[in-house]
Amino acid sequence: MPTGRERRRISRRTWIRAAALVLLAGFGGVALFGPSVARAAAIGVFAMAVGYVVGLKILRRLLAFPRGITGTAGAVLDEAVRMRSTLVLLILLGACVPILPLLLDPAERLTYRVQFLVMWNLGGAFLILSLLTVFLACGSICGDIASGRIHMSLTKPLDRWEYLVGKWLGLVLYNLLLVALVGIGSYTLIRMLAAGPAADQADREAVDRQVLVARRAVPPTRDDPKAYAEAVNAAIEQRAKDDPEGFAGDRARAVDRIRREFDGQWLTVTSDMVSTFVFRELGTKGDTSAKVQLQMDPRAPNVNIDFSDVWFTMSLNDRPWPVHDGEAVTQKLPSYARHVYDLPSSIVSESNELRLRIANKNAVPKGETLATSIMFPPGKGLQLFVRTGGFEANFFRCLAIIWLKLAVVAAVSVAAGAMFDFPSAVLASLVLYAASVGSDFFRDSLGIYNVASDTAWGQATERISYAARYAVEGRGYDMFRVLLGFVTDVLFFIVPSFSSDSSITRLATGIAIPGTAVVTRLVLFGLAYPAAFGFLGWVVLDRRDLVKTGA
Amino acid sequence: MEAESSGRGQETSPPPDVLCAGVSKWFRDFWMRPRVRAVESLDLEIGRGEIYGLLGPNGSGKSTTIKMILGLVTPTRGRIAVLGRRPRDVATKRHIGYLPEESYLHGFLSARETLDFYGRLFRLPTRIRRERIDRLLAMVGLDAVGDRPVREFSKGMQRRVGLAQSLINDPQLLILDEPTSGMDPVGAWQIRDLIRELGQRGKTILLCTHQLSDVEDLCDRISIMFGGRIRAQGTCDELLTGESASLIRTPPLEPEVEAEVRQVLARHGVGPVVLERPRRKLETLFLEVVEKARAEGLTTSGAKSGGDVPTFLRSRGGDGDGQPVEALSQPVAVNATLLDSLMRNPSDANGS
Repeated sequence: MPTGRERRRISRRTWIRAAALVLLAGFGGVALFGPSVARAAAIGVFAMAVGYVVGLKILRRLLAFPRGITGTAGAVLDEAVRMRSTLVLLILLGACVPILPLLLDPAERLTYRVQFLVMWNLGGAFLILSLLTVFLACGSICGDIASGRIHMSLTKPLDRWEYLVGKWLGLVLYNLLLVALVGIGSYTLIRMLAAGPAADQADREAVDRQVLVARRAVPPTRDDPKAYAEAVNAAIEQRAKDDPEGFAGDRARAVDRIRREFDGQWLTVTSDMVSTFVFRELGTKGDTSAKVQLQMDPRAPNVNIDFSDVWFTMSLNDRPWPVHDGEAVTQKLPSYARHVYDLPSSIVSESNELRLRIANKNAVPKGETLATSIMFPPGKGLQLFVRTGGFEANFFRCLAIIWLKLAVVAAVSVAAGAMFDFPSAVLASLVLYAASVGSDFFRDSLGIYNVASDTAWGQATERISYAARYAVEGRGYDMFRVLLGFVTDVLFFIVPSFSSDSSITRLATGIAIPGTAVVTRLVLFGLAYPAAFGFLGWVVLDRRDLVKTGA
Repeated sequence: MEAESSGRGQETSPPPDVLCAGVSKWFRDFWMRPRVRAVESLDLEIGRGEIYGLLGPNGSGKSTTIKMILGLVTPTRGRIAVLGRRPRDVATKRHIGYLPEESYLHGFLSARETLDFYGRLFRLPTRIRRERIDRLLAMVGLDAVGDRPVREFSKGMQRRVGLAQSLINDPQLLILDEPTSGMDPVGAWQIRDLIRELGQRGKTILLCTHQLSDVEDLCDRISIMFGGRIRAQGTCDELLTGESASLIRTPPLEPEVEAEVRQVLARHGVGPVVLERPRRKLETLFLEVVEKARAEGLTTSGAKSGGDVPTFLRSRGGDGDGQPVEALSQPVAVNATLLDSLMRNPSDANGS
């Protein structure tokens, strides 16, 4: 017979269930009969709620397998679901995802709004889920150790490494569920927003063809790579002959400078020249459906505002394009703006490469004899995009990478929890998280005296040799700075570099995330880093005396 | 004599379930300097089927000893074997049941979920888990409140959950740290019954408690620790049988008869009198050991008893925990049938 208190509990639970049912029914009603935008939103919320309940059920069923690792993971899942701190962060997540689009200014171009939504929805979700993972992992493990609960677990047939793996597995699976829910919510919102009115036709096309797609970026290459290499080598030799001492002193920088000079010259279309850029290995041979886009960000470095527009004609695979009455049409583009041409796939698909020739048609400014040059900044100034797939597959890959990054965060936090008490563990995890998210920034600001070598080993030995030389020369401060750079190298060899992983930016700019990127991150973030950090945590936990009373 | 008997034991009987040889534990501080010597050169042997009592004032090293036997703490020196293996060996732990001195439970899990969680760690298949959980919850009287989160439980109820989880794997070696603390008198009585019943079934039990009457009733052998060392060790009879005096017990005597008996005895006469070794109370022995150790200047890393020892002894009565009785269903008496059903143990579950 239930007691009075029991009866009250039961009735409260029944009320909550009834309220949830009414809410769900309401959402279902809107989803079926409401206006289109509300319908999409209701479907999204409905899918998230159902996904949470069903996903949790599936995970629990999976982890019901009676083994130490699955048992521990199952307890983490229960802890995550029932702890208040996770609830707070989940509410934050739930509020953050659907409220974001409301903050966007409807007067803004739709392209930017969609891009903003993709960036901030997924970026924000990653941040919140990372925090949740850190607090949950450290709270769970440090709580177990501080309260003595770990005495109960570790006196069962559960090895200490199994305990750590179980905690990590529980977090990873919980993150899998949450990332999937964020995915459902985000995707619904993005599609909802993208279905709304655009500023103009160009805006509409940009959303559909430059954001909600997956494209492969192909950089331009030189017409004759062999001749280029020879020219660079000749220039290097010349420089070495002209200034042997200075060159030997800082060879890496000198070579780098020469390369940059050559690149700059090549990407500048001077007034009297027709430049050729070859896009190779387009992978569109025989595939007439492939969509090819040319993106340029041309600059006319002229202080006179009247002459800052860029005028030019193009030819594709030696055929003028665009053509009007058999004549190449001169293109006029404002400087410092990005332009995208949809190229006729018939031209491209004939061969596996595209030769783009650009002739400078800029006007000659008064008092000068030559027209202003057209410059394409290296990197994104001139690119070809080949459409490789839809937005959905790309979105899915992006979510997978976010999840894998969270697996690293989980491993770091589990290791920290095994080593320190709760505040120190959270602090250590957050420091490492900040270092990996801001790794590029830190590397740039701390990596003094950049060195030429590309490999980590090469850079390290190079820095050490510099430091040794400075030590011999008695330049103490320089030696200290080089050693600091060395320490930075070592640090960022340990810390996973999240900032160099641009999957969210790629998704927002419609650049395909290659399947190989997912696989390498699966190996690196899903296995290698967790194994390394987990091992570190295990080494400490295995030697730790688990007593509650402080010695 | 002790060494001789153990030497013989190795030849004829199986090795002891718990063996500690020269075990010391020093806890170090942050700078790795030895700070606390919790246990010093401890030798302990618990044979199969023995109920062994480990006594000692607070901070005498009992809990550290237990944690070393459980593999939670690594000894600084010495060797420990539990069921013939290293204490950290996972295979050992399948056969160990442990009830810690406090309830270390996940507050967010219900009693049933808690038992299910530990059952899963013991790799028990679902069907067996469910069956045992039902029986254990009934045994500790929590079957009506099994679905409530443990954090809503009183201390005594949490102890009951702890006791239930320590039996979920049908352990060969049961380590009970303060099993009756926080229990109501009925619960405490029930636990004593359970320990006795389990002992009769050949289970090895290490009992660590301040309830000296329990120890006297239940334990085959005891150790009294102080300052990390064992100060007295042996069977209750050995330890509690006085060497310095004799006791004559007769039916009630008339004064003149008594005087006559004295005369007779004075003349070394033999009469219808029964001579018996006097038996001290365990409490007296305990106090003596502690007082002697203190007189010898031994220090303890734990609580300084000072004049508290008598108080500590007086407070041994089980105090109720204020839990409304209605929340607990009447505990099922521990009887042979219940234990039989608990121990109907499929061979695959424990790999035996």
